[in-house]
Amino acid sequence: MKRFDCLKSLVPILSDEIAVISLGGQIDEWYHLRPSPKNMYIKGMGAVIPFAFGLSVALPHRKIICSDTDGSLLLNMGILATLGNERPKNLIVMILDNECYETIAKHPTHTSKNVDFTEMAKGAGIKNAFTVKTVSEFMDRMKRALTLNELSFIVLKLEPGSQAFPEEERKRSDGIEDKYNFVRYLEDSEGITIFPREVKSIRKIETEHNWDNTKL
Amino acid sequence: MKENAVKLVIESLKEAGVNTIVTLPDSKFKELYPALASDPYFRYIPVTNEGEGVAIAAGVMLGGRGAVMLMENSGLRVAIENLSRLGHTHEIPVFMIMSYIGDIGEKNWWGITHGLNMVSLLQAMHIPYIIVRKNDEVKDAIVRAKRHTAVSKYHVAVVLSGEVTE
Repeated sequence: MKRFDCLKSLVPILSDEIAVISLGGQIDEWYHLRPSPKNMYIKGMGAVIPFAFGLSVALPHRKIICSDTDGSLLLNMGILATLGNERPKNLIVMILDNECYETIAKHPTHTSKNVDFTEMAKGAGIKNAFTVKTVSEFMDRMKRALTLNELSFIVLKLEPGSQAFPEEERKRSDGIEDKYNFVRYLEDSEGITIFPREVKSIRKIETEHNWDNTKL
Repeated sequence: MKENAVKLVIESLKEAGVNTIVTLPDSKFKELYPALASDPYFRYIPVTNEGEGVAIAAGVMLGGRGAVMLMENSGLRVAIENLSRLGHTHEIPVFMIMSYIGDIGEKNWWGITHGLNMVSLLQAMHIPYIIVRKNDEVKDAIVRAKRHTAVSKYHVAVVLSGEVTE
């Protein structure tokens, strides 16, 4: 099963869902398939699922899809325990598990041997935890997860490989620009202020001063 | 912490607009946790490590709610990687309140390096911080520090010590 095929099937059924996207080859694939300010790209292995969980706490009425990787989850397995206890109803976690650090000469990750994320998630208290090995299985689980008002955790067993795009079709924004695109979208769609506007005047003048230009 | 300090921190968090507490317990704050957890004003989220915690707090903040990462200062050593990714790569701020294990007068030998590392790491990361040792300075520090995170779009820390954590 190829990651690009999974994302290509998923994107057409998405609407207002917020997508929190991890590192690696999936960035350009997501950007190509769903260029949207509803996507937030987080460049920090081990920080992606926690960040998505934080968003789900702040925005309980929005569905949050977190697209993380095996290497990133392995860096902070503790988040499974936190999710298992908190069970955010509006969060779907997808683990794109290609069993290797693909950009680092496909160095194997622990999931290439004995580690089973789905069993670990279940042990941590995440009830809706599944492994999928075909695009059809993945889509069945995702369609159900999108309608379910419960935490879902779906591990996609993938073959390594990324879709190649011409340079001009690759994502060009950096982490700060991504943040602002996402924040402005949230501010507008939610009617909230996340970063305050500059203050017009720190201290109000009590009485108007009449300037006499001839004395300047 | 004495009861009046617990009340003061809770009042200050409310005034600062913080309604989500992300925490890994620390001995200096042990009286504060049950008070926060039982107050319906707060969403109380215990985590497994401070790196995870600051990333959760960042997500809460970027989603428009006020969050704090409440932790022991030694947790800064664990959190630095994610603080750098969030703060430098994305300019997504995290508001932190931490205890000052290793402050002058520390009684435990193992706590000394907690304090030394905390100061060095905060400075290395260019994270503004306020050390509060008097109860009557708590509210001002928490309110101003929380505001500063949103305006500067970078992390800020309030470090509690002295009579506040006695």
